[in-house]
Amino acid sequence: MTSNVCPSCGAALETPLGCGQCNSLFEPPGDLSPYLVLGIEPSAGVDAKDLRSRLLRFSRIVHPDFYGADEAQRALAEGNTARLNEAYGILSDDFARVDWIVKHLGGPSEADERQMPQAFLMEVLEWNEALEEARETPAGTALPDSLEALEATWNEERATTLASAIAKLTPFPDPGASALTDVRKSLNAVRYLDRALRELEALRLARAAAH
Amino acid sequence: MAYIELDVLNNREAPAIGIDLGTTNSLAATWRDGRPEVLTPDEKSKHYSAIVPSVIHFPEDEGAGPDVGYEARDQAIVDPKHTIFSVKRFMGRGLADAESDLSRLPYRATENERGLIQFEMHGRQYSPQELSAMILMRVRDFACEALGGLEVTRAVITVPAYFDDTQRQATRDAARLAGIDVLRIINEPTAASLAYGLDQKEAATVAVYDLGGGTFDVSLLAIEDGTFQVLATAGDTHLGGDDFDRALVELVHEELGPQIGDDALKDPGFQQAVRLAAEKCKIGLTHDPESHLHLVVPDLDLNWRRDVTREEFEARIAPLIERTLNACRQTLSDAKLAATDVDEVVLVGGSTRVPAVRKRVEEFFGRTPHTELNPDEVVALGAAVQAHILTGGTRDMLLMDVTPLSLGIETMGGAVAKVIERNSRIPCQATDGFTTYADNQTGIDFNIVQGERELASDCRSLGRFKLSGIPPLPAGMARIAVKFHIDADGLLTVTAKEESTGETAKIEVQPMHGLTDGEVEEMLESSYKNAREDFDKRRVADLKTEIGVMLQATERTLPKGRPALDVETVEDIEAALAAARAATQGDELKPIQAARDELERATLPLAAALMDSVAKKALTGKSLKDV
Repeated sequence: MTSNVCPSCGAALETPLGCGQCNSLFEPPGDLSPYLVLGIEPSAGVDAKDLRSRLLRFSRIVHPDFYGADEAQRALAEGNTARLNEAYGILSDDFARVDWIVKHLGGPSEADERQMPQAFLMEVLEWNEALEEARETPAGTALPDSLEALEATWNEERATTLASAIAKLTPFPDPGASALTDVRKSLNAVRYLDRALRELEALRLARAAAH
Repeated sequence: MAYIELDVLNNREAPAIGIDLGTTNSLAATWRDGRPEVLTPDEKSKHYSAIVPSVIHFPEDEGAGPDVGYEARDQAIVDPKHTIFSVKRFMGRGLADAESDLSRLPYRATENERGLIQFEMHGRQYSPQELSAMILMRVRDFACEALGGLEVTRAVITVPAYFDDTQRQATRDAARLAGIDVLRIINEPTAASLAYGLDQKEAATVAVYDLGGGTFDVSLLAIEDGTFQVLATAGDTHLGGDDFDRALVELVHEELGPQIGDDALKDPGFQQAVRLAAEKCKIGLTHDPESHLHLVVPDLDLNWRRDVTREEFEARIAPLIERTLNACRQTLSDAKLAATDVDEVVLVGGSTRVPAVRKRVEEFFGRTPHTELNPDEVVALGAAVQAHILTGGTRDMLLMDVTPLSLGIETMGGAVAKVIERNSRIPCQATDGFTTYADNQTGIDFNIVQGERELASDCRSLGRFKLSGIPPLPAGMARIAVKFHIDADGLLTVTAKEESTGETAKIEVQPMHGLTDGEVEEMLESSYKNAREDFDKRRVADLKTEIGVMLQATERTLPKGRPALDVETVEDIEAALAAARAATQGDELKPIQAARDELERATLPLAAALMDSVAKKALTGKSLKDV
């Protein structure tokens, strides 16, 4: 994709959305992958710092703030920036990126692998109990230490689950491979973890507010 | 004519300006000589200040038109029922939302069939959009004056970051009504960061704490290499300095209520007097550890004075400040940052002058906040920077903002299916798929909601839209892709397509608490018509005065000039006099204008005769009516 050149000025293009040399905007096809948008080689792991610098650099090319004079150019800039933001949103977030890869390689959807192992569900039940207990303690008191410890294990589990999912997708397996089913199961486990983490954070904010 | 020639010489384009349309005060700024600068009208003008108080007064005499700004604010106690404050609180809101505000206001409000608030002033209805347009027009006029008469047409207008789609739409519509070409709607804290960040050389995480007259916002930004990236924002569109005043108003009610009774408390003049006394006391407490509430109401035979210590005031507003800190906690949580990760804290908005606010913010973030720029001006200055960027002035800076609230669609069970999460970078888009649940169904109804709650009924409905023109297919076969796009102004547009046939489904969105495009056009037309009518009224009044002077002069000089005139001329003059007298009985512009012109024509020979007479010398260079 880096071999692409700008039809206006002949400069090499970093992104198919526009040219950083002459500030021309292009209308890319609708089904462009987020990797193409950000101009990086597709892989399950990404360099977060490089990705961020690309977002900032490409925003400087395609943002509608720079195309105020011409209605059509501005509309194109609106659309291209939305696509850049969408692509960055997918690639910069481990969960969203892995989810995109599984879908893209024809793996099962979230609903296809809804069944979770019994042991895991028992664990989730315990988390919920811990959260419920904490909710019932008096508003002025601090959250129990046990819950803080639990949060640390959730964060750790989330990180290792996603890291192993990324490892399974490196290099990309063949479309329809069983690895995709394993990764989907991992993602569903992460959903449970995220919900618990979110609820704990909401509880913490509510505590601080009531204090 | 000479004026037109001068105009040609001065024919340079007016710059785009930035306008801070505030709850309490509004003002404009522009980019000049490499810096943003507040636009202050000429020193000779009545109020040597850039600030326009966001107040509108409707005088009894309709011909005069409403007063805006200082003139209007001065009427608050004299004519409280026709003096509108804090209209920003009602933008994009329905009566039910505004109930608590309205109960404290001395004027009446109703609601139209689509939930748009209407204020009745001397028999005419005004929406918050129209009232805001009046403020914008005054600010624009001030800006034109400050720019030496250049016709300003383009502006960046700021809104609280936490404004939802209806409130943003209402602001945009107000600007359209004011005849302003809106380059961009930008968020107030983001604008402030632009003004502060101009000289920011190193990468930094910045918190902008913006407490204005009626709204609170907090935004966290990452600034690096001229890119201002909003990481998260939170706020309360119903929390500001007005509420600090109210804390003192409540004190008055508690202590004075038993003495003077409920009816007196609810008297509009008394309410405004208390409000102003509270504001004065609050400002006093900013500078001194002790101030007082002083009320003089002759009607109630009341001269009441109450000392208030800063400590007492701070105890009363502590819960309000805590609410702002909760929003700070929320943004930090959303941005996955700790308070200690914040490198710089910036204070914006007049209410951040309150010492207790400064103290608590400093404690919360653990660092001394920036207050170098005037907190009343910094938002307008930032808007001017953005206007400069948008008109091609620089590519060195870029604002990357977020949407403050999640966007979703009500599901069959009344829950919310989120389509776009809060704090998503804008512009952003998302596509969601829908299908039909009955055979040959050709339409689907949607309720678009904004907010963070689980149930649609707890979120704000942005409007319902109907998808029609779906081709008749068996249930579940149609595949309709609905695309949501939030643009750089933070405004939503929805488009839909049936994917199996490629047909574009039609969408009609009925704005809640807002204006349709048709209504905006209608209002614009009627405002032109009203302006025309006002102009005509004034012209009629001027002509009547002029005719009166001419009549008197003619009657006085006719006996003197008669000998020099022939009979037909005298008859002609007398007929013109009678016609002029008759015409002044009416109010129609055309016949009055015609009668005046006729009178002038008929009396020309009389003037000439007088000139020829002994009076000639004395009359040289004077017209008849000056005699």
